[in-house]
Amino acid sequence: MKIINNRNIYKTALILSFILISIFALLGLAKTLDYLNTGAERTSMLHLETESEDIYLPKVNWTKLDNPAREMEKNTLGKIERDYLFSWYVKNNALENNTSKGIDYYYTQNTRENLYRTINYNKSHEITIENTTIKHFPELEFYSEDGQLVVFTDKNVVEFQKLYQNKQLITSIQDTATYKVMMLLEDGFWRVRHLLKMKSEAFAPDTIKANPIYTVKNNQILQNKIPYTIKGINYYPKNSAWDTFGERFNKDTIAVDFDIMKKANLNTVRVFIQYGDFGKAKIIPEKLEKLKVLLDLAEAKKLAVIVTLFDFYSDYTIDSWTLTHRHAEQIVSTFKDHKAILAWDLKNEPNLDFENRDKDNVLSWLDHITTVVKENDPNHLITIGWSNSVEATNLADKMDFISYHFYNDMQHLEYETNKLLKTTKKPVVIEEFGVPSYGGMWNLWEGSIKKQAAYHQKMQTYFKKNNYSFMSWTLYDFPHVPDQVAGKWPWQKMRQKKFGFIDDKGNNKPAFKYISN
Amino acid sequence: MIKKAIHIVLPFALFFLFVFAVSKTNNPAASFQLLTTEENFVAGKPITLAFSTPSKIATADLFIIHSYGKTLLKSKNNNGQLLFKIPAIYSQKTGFTSWYLLQNKKTIVTGSFKITPNNNTPTLLENYLGPTTLLTGLNHFTMMVAIPTDSYDNPKEDNTTVLIKDQFLNDIRITAEKTKSFIAWKNIYSRTTVGKMLVSTECENTDSKEFETDIRPSIGKDFSISFSRNHKFADGNQITKLETSIIRDQFGNLVGDGTLVTFQITTKNNILLKTFAATINGIAIAQLLHPDHEDTYRVKGYVTGIAESKPIEISYNALINTFPYQFSEKNREITVGPLKSFMKQIIPDGIKVELKIFHHNNLIETKIAESSKGITTFYLLPPFYKEKEYQFEITTLGVTQKTEIKKYENN
Repeated sequence: MKIINNRNIYKTALILSFILISIFALLGLAKTLDYLNTGAERTSMLHLETESEDIYLPKVNWTKLDNPAREMEKNTLGKIERDYLFSWYVKNNALENNTSKGIDYYYTQNTRENLYRTINYNKSHEITIENTTIKHFPELEFYSEDGQLVVFTDKNVVEFQKLYQNKQLITSIQDTATYKVMMLLEDGFWRVRHLLKMKSEAFAPDTIKANPIYTVKNNQILQNKIPYTIKGINYYPKNSAWDTFGERFNKDTIAVDFDIMKKANLNTVRVFIQYGDFGKAKIIPEKLEKLKVLLDLAEAKKLAVIVTLFDFYSDYTIDSWTLTHRHAEQIVSTFKDHKAILAWDLKNEPNLDFENRDKDNVLSWLDHITTVVKENDPNHLITIGWSNSVEATNLADKMDFISYHFYNDMQHLEYETNKLLKTTKKPVVIEEFGVPSYGGMWNLWEGSIKKQAAYHQKMQTYFKKNNYSFMSWTLYDFPHVPDQVAGKWPWQKMRQKKFGFIDDKGNNKPAFKYISN
Repeated sequence: MIKKAIHIVLPFALFFLFVFAVSKTNNPAASFQLLTTEENFVAGKPITLAFSTPSKIATADLFIIHSYGKTLLKSKNNNGQLLFKIPAIYSQKTGFTSWYLLQNKKTIVTGSFKITPNNNTPTLLENYLGPTTLLTGLNHFTMMVAIPTDSYDNPKEDNTTVLIKDQFLNDIRITAEKTKSFIAWKNIYSRTTVGKMLVSTECENTDSKEFETDIRPSIGKDFSISFSRNHKFADGNQITKLETSIIRDQFGNLVGDGTLVTFQITTKNNILLKTFAATINGIAIAQLLHPDHEDTYRVKGYVTGIAESKPIEISYNALINTFPYQFSEKNREITVGPLKSFMKQIIPDGIKVELKIFHHNNLIETKIAESSKGITTFYLLPPFYKEKEYQFEITTLGVTQKTEIKKYENN
């Protein structure tokens, strides 16, 4: 019998089309019902849902809250502050992308027109401006009796912007101005009704008194006014390379390692804090606890610590600036009085990001982070760990001492260091140096533990002769190295595992003898 | 030979051409000086910044930061002079505008100017009045906030005079307030009588519309309560009306309609009962069912958290002293009644009758039934009540009677 005939085909087609039509009809009905139901919930009508993500966190400090009318409630102030910052955020976004997205949420009907005009003008002239504000010092002027209207003066708003025309960077500019702001409560949003830019006022003088242990005089770091030469080492615990404050954090392990360092005549240790690991803009309290444990141990063992911030951070975009500021602020202000800290190293080898992240951008970011750290912690020195001596002159005038990493031929050590000492007139620290003892197929059996020892022996004679401050890389060989550090290929990783003075079984390598002078 | 010469000359010629072209297209660094001396401008008037430079070809861009935006302006070198016309979108809005003259990615001159509101344009007034309802009294107030602006929606400068006026009955008050931080404001205090208050503002010949605020009575003072009823007997049927006196606030205004009054009743056995009523024209009337037994009610009225009355007592007399009952159908049917009221009329239907069944003084069961036409009947089904004797206790209308021990045959 013939199964495939016209009639069967028609039947099948008919049934299938019936099913399809039914499905579409049902879907259509569901969509219609869905649409009719949107916006009906009270929470969405009143905009009660809370934004959970931190996207814009400039420093905000309400310097005055008393006003002649209604007393400000803490809860309302929080909402006003949040919506006010969002008004800046949408304005920044509008100028950067020439889009009106979000403006109607945070500006009233009359006021938003002004921004639309700016957007249209800039769009037609192909002008885009990346913006961020760094600090706000609002003073409350007036809060109406019915709680619907507020006026405040936002004093000395520091604005940083990068200006582009036809996608070409023209320049970056920092401007400080005071803004008088009126906001109205509409549909659950505090919206900007009037905005008036005014002349900035003199900044209030800094009242925090610095009480530093470590200071700098000419080319010399001082500890309690006595010259201090750093004899240091870069440190990760053996089993938690690039993850000092992770799951494997152990007080006893660190205590033992610090004893080894102290006995080997070292006086300083450099540790690393990862931006993401510590919680980005919202620092995880447990991480600060762990850092405190490490610093307390160092203090007990009389070791100075250089804490390197922003490891594994490589964004630098203006959008995320304020988030990084809050990150740095929380860490350095927590430990501003800690006696073990010698210096904050703002970023490890930022010059490696010059190519991909734009040199100007990276430098402006570092410049602002310098300010944030200095403002929140006047007691400790600051430096940046540049990966070579040429780039180490960047921002040199803002640093307390200059750090650079030396992985060149030893013969150049004195030349490079002396040149830096001369040009910057500041102390110079060779913050990283070392050679791997790895000799295998990936580097053609080039290295060995003997060659490593010879290298360190020679380096120490240079240090001793010139009284250089040094920090070697690193205490341990590491059984595991994460991919982000050197790369995922064995010829990249194998080298990186063998820089230590102590091998991964805990035995001292020959180089250990020359760990210090 | 000539060919060779061309080979030598051509690269040189091209090189010089290139160098020349580069120097021509590059913007030569030059010094610039601001020519415009004015630093204050009025909104809506065109603003032009002029710069002079010794160079005849050097140009520069002007970056401006204004209250409502930022932009970059271009200009041409016109015989050593650069003119920057500020776009109307910025020159119409007030504020302190910073400018940065940029050349070859560098800021070479910076400065600022100020735009002030245009007082020659008609003034506009924006007003906010709140709260829009008030209570009577001397401490309550509503706040009028006025924001005078020029026609370009720029808030007027500080110390602009705004008249704030309010009317209540024959009382019209006008005060002059000065603006500060965009606004002029005044607290307008409530009065002691209930009514409507109208508020308006005026600034530089511009008048606002009228804003209304209601003055409502404030919280009530203590009050008294009374009761009325058809008769004083506890028949479980009639209703006693509880009524408050007229509740007024401290200034003699009737409290708002709908003020809820709670009547709390304590019986002789310290059982709490409640009934509620909302006021109309200051009076709340609640209803209370008569008890079905003799009792004395102690009643107190409350406006919760605000006011209360002194307690009153209401007594209810017993409807009957005793009642008849019969046993029939081999003592299995118990008929209570007929129950008769104070005029020997049959009591209303639905009076509760309770029958307690005892066996050797142990309570076995309590049966409850309601009367119909004065009669209530209970039937003890033989399969459930198998004992040889029972005794009963009958309670109705607050009267309890105990029967004698009744004998039963086993079926």
